[in-house]
Amino acid sequence: MLSKRTVCLALAGALMSGAAAFTPAQAAELKAEVIHWWTSGGESAAVKVFADQFTKAGGTWIDTAIAGGANARTAAINRVVGGKPPTAMQFNTGKQFDDLVAGDLLRDMDALAKAQNWDKIVPKPILDAVTRNGHVYAVPVNIHAQNWLWYNKAVLEKAGAKEPKTIDELFATLDKIKATGVIPLAFASQKTWERGLFNSLLAAQSRDLFVNVYTKRDVALVKSPEFRKVAEAFGKMRDYTDPSSKGRNWNDATALVITGKAGMQFMGDWAKGEFNAAGQTVGKEYGCVVVGPSYVMGGDVFAFAKIKDADQTAAQDVLAKTLLDPETQIKFNAKKGSVPVRTDIDVSTLDACAQTGAKLLSDPKAQAPAVELMTPATVTGAVEDVISQYWNNPSMPVDDFLNKFAAALKSDI
Amino acid sequence: MSATASASVPARSGAIEPAGRKPGRISVEMIGVYAVLILAALAIAMPLYVMVVTSMKTMPEIREGALFALPSRANWDAWVKAWTSACTGLTCEGIRVGFWNSVQILIPSVIVSIAVGSINGYALAFWNVPGSKILFGILLLGAFVPYPIFVYPLVRILSTLGLYGSLPGIVLIHTIFGLPVMTVLFRNFYASLPIELFKAARVDGAGFVRLYLKIMLPMSIPILVVAVILQVTGIWNDFLLGLVFAGRENFPMTVQLNNIVNSTQGEREYNVEMAATMLTALVPLAVYFLSGRWFVRGIASGAVKG
Amino acid sequence: MKPRRFLRHIPGFIALAPATLVVLVVYIGCVAWSIQISTTNSRILPSSQYVGLRQYEILFANERWLTSLQNLVIFGLLFIAIAIAIGFLLAILIDQKIQGEGLFRTVYLYPFSMSFVVTGLAWQWILTPANGIEKVVRDLGFPNFRFDWIVDQQMVIYTIVLAAVWHAAGLVMAIALAGLRGIDAEIWKAIRIDGIPKWRAYLFIVIPMLKASLATAVVLLSISVVRLYDLVVAMTHGGPGIASEVPAKFVIDYLFERQNIGLATAGTTVMLVTVLAVLTPYVYLQHRRSLKGGHA
Repeated sequence: MLSKRTVCLALAGALMSGAAAFTPAQAAELKAEVIHWWTSGGESAAVKVFADQFTKAGGTWIDTAIAGGANARTAAINRVVGGKPPTAMQFNTGKQFDDLVAGDLLRDMDALAKAQNWDKIVPKPILDAVTRNGHVYAVPVNIHAQNWLWYNKAVLEKAGAKEPKTIDELFATLDKIKATGVIPLAFASQKTWERGLFNSLLAAQSRDLFVNVYTKRDVALVKSPEFRKVAEAFGKMRDYTDPSSKGRNWNDATALVITGKAGMQFMGDWAKGEFNAAGQTVGKEYGCVVVGPSYVMGGDVFAFAKIKDADQTAAQDVLAKTLLDPETQIKFNAKKGSVPVRTDIDVSTLDACAQTGAKLLSDPKAQAPAVELMTPATVTGAVEDVISQYWNNPSMPVDDFLNKFAAALKSDI
Repeated sequence: MSATASASVPARSGAIEPAGRKPGRISVEMIGVYAVLILAALAIAMPLYVMVVTSMKTMPEIREGALFALPSRANWDAWVKAWTSACTGLTCEGIRVGFWNSVQILIPSVIVSIAVGSINGYALAFWNVPGSKILFGILLLGAFVPYPIFVYPLVRILSTLGLYGSLPGIVLIHTIFGLPVMTVLFRNFYASLPIELFKAARVDGAGFVRLYLKIMLPMSIPILVVAVILQVTGIWNDFLLGLVFAGRENFPMTVQLNNIVNSTQGEREYNVEMAATMLTALVPLAVYFLSGRWFVRGIASGAVKG
Repeated sequence: MKPRRFLRHIPGFIALAPATLVVLVVYIGCVAWSIQISTTNSRILPSSQYVGLRQYEILFANERWLTSLQNLVIFGLLFIAIAIAIGFLLAILIDQKIQGEGLFRTVYLYPFSMSFVVTGLAWQWILTPANGIEKVVRDLGFPNFRFDWIVDQQMVIYTIVLAAVWHAAGLVMAIALAGLRGIDAEIWKAIRIDGIPKWRAYLFIVIPMLKASLATAVVLLSISVVRLYDLVVAMTHGGPGIASEVPAKFVIDYLFERQNIGLATAGTTVMLVTVLAVLTPYVYLQHRRSLKGGHA
């Protein structure tokens, strides 16, 4: 009857497609459960690129999305400890998976790194961030620059100001915007973004100072005149924000720039998503610029737990390979708003900000690792607390701030 | 709010009849009572009002920042989106995905934790088991430990037991964490009951189990209602424990809610967030509303004593 | 007599056995474990390298931790007192045989059903000067009206109290109402016969009979004080600066985001010792009272 014929056809179809993929037996087994924290509309579209590419490569993507990096990492680490590890898990580029490496719980990806020539195509700070004791333990998938300045073109035009390239120009632009009665700096006064603003200024001052302060954690550097200048500039920034910035979410600050209630905002390149969601285009309604010499790079990686099951290991291999595939990289990063980790691919299809980013990225003199690539989370946190205290207490003397900052750098056990 | 609004009005002695007076008689005193109740209700409802109007606005309207303004038109898109199509990861199917998981976790967890708590409370209040005071003291103290501390060791314990990442596992976890509060709740309630009741039943020859089932449980209705409120809310709104212990097949609805509201770098839609929160709260709200009649029945249980 | 006494306790022992097991394994076991961790240099996973009291030194040199402790005291006292006062008042008013009792009860209780993650955001908006209550009152014709506690480092903790009371008052009402509904009809009859004014009856006769409800409410509220976390995260993120930080947030931040379980467990140990110091006199008093004439 009909059903019999359908079954036959389906069977034949399955066999043929299986033959086409050349791995009929394996195709059914390549299941990869991936824990990640990409849950918003734009992020969802981005992660779908990975899932689709993995499906094309013959795999089945099992999605475990948990918003909030700390939440997702808690779940992932507990899964590993509890003996039910996921196939792959997301971390931020940096030190978040150090303990898992030390506990011998992660697979090394040396073979893949060699096959794909990572040492040639991945920027050094990013490669260093996934390397422990000479072995590569995670696959970086994107680069998010954290020190972009976003501005409303109409507001800048009206104020007769231009896109600032240095700290001095930044203050000149802020003053001009202030004169027009618009909030000069859209700010979200929460610890993370207070730290973000400070580090953007530090990186704008000098790339070397920025890197050395956090890697060497040397008190003398914190007490240097150059660092003090940054601290003072940071303090001055308070005059360009509105009182309601306290506790505000970053996207609400972006909304101020979008609606022209404020002129500019320092934020990572994920802010692009908000502009796009509001129907604006770069170069038309808004612009982006990196102030100063450094391009501060963070981003995301996937790490792979050691799993005894051979099918799972096979799935890990296929997935890891897919992530850095040039086509995947371009498609994914276009959706995510970030820049590909490969410097050897054509980025002309990406938007203007991403293209600027990709250009800066390939310049070793501009490459600066994000703070979380340089310091353990506990030090990053302690520094963040100090920056926040200073920002919210205008009467705190700069010297107090510098002392506390130095102490926080040394707060690691 | 003024406590004197109702208290300073001299009460006519005939009016004092809290348990049994027919409603509907209007006195100065009752006007005061209603005035305070309504004012309190309005104050408490204010954030809900903000959430409801925000959920009905469009994002450009929200960006304008007129918090208390009514939406330009009644617009339920955000509610539909929150329930059916908001992105929570690879798929965009809204918060409904975890609804049944939450129900599956909720029902056994509430029943088991309340049963255990009430039996403990009963044993502690009436039976004076040696060592029970120390047990109670430690249990009470245990309630104060922030529970993220327990997460790592409990992961190890449950995976040894083979319960990690399973439905029985998460039910056990909710029972463990509900134990201190449930025990305190029932112990205190039973301790306030007249001891004569217990003694009389003992003289009649009632044993541990019969006394509990025939006498204590029927008297516990008002406190059972409170226990249900506490556990339903606590377990329904739990995120961390469900996330860590339930396993990905059993993720509760709060995981989806969190995925909608907590994305750090993604664009945010406040109208959908507000709607999602209110949708998630519907189950506890329904339970509160329906538990009302049992509360009133508490009066009847009081009358039994007379 | 002795064997009989023992036999009498058997059902009790059986009933309390699961709780005993949980107390031994989870509460005592895990707390002991976390105290041990606090003497090591553990990051995300437990390490065995002993560092003595070093984590405690770091902890008490940390300004944020000290501020957190101070906030906990201010918040705890105010929150418990106000939530109980309002909750009991509402319960007494609801107990006046009013119309629409179910509706009022649900309205008072609804905040308790909602997760703080988003209601905290609503509160933040309401309290933010530029678009919240301050703006509304100013627009009504009071241009000098100020209500900017949430951005004021000195006052921000009181806004947390406000939102927390909003959240919990309904629960206190429910507990008090459960107590009121458990009061013997005979007592009301006696009060009626004696012609005692209602407010005096409540103040001097009925409320003292609700001691157990009160104790329950205090315990529940105290637990939520010590665990206070979500609300702060959603409303202020601990800011401005570190002005509204609380201990549980410190612990959870270091446990997860800051990946330092050594310091986090040192924090919980201090919290636990503090609670113990407050609770011990209370438990001792209870014990003495029950010796004088409790149940059974």
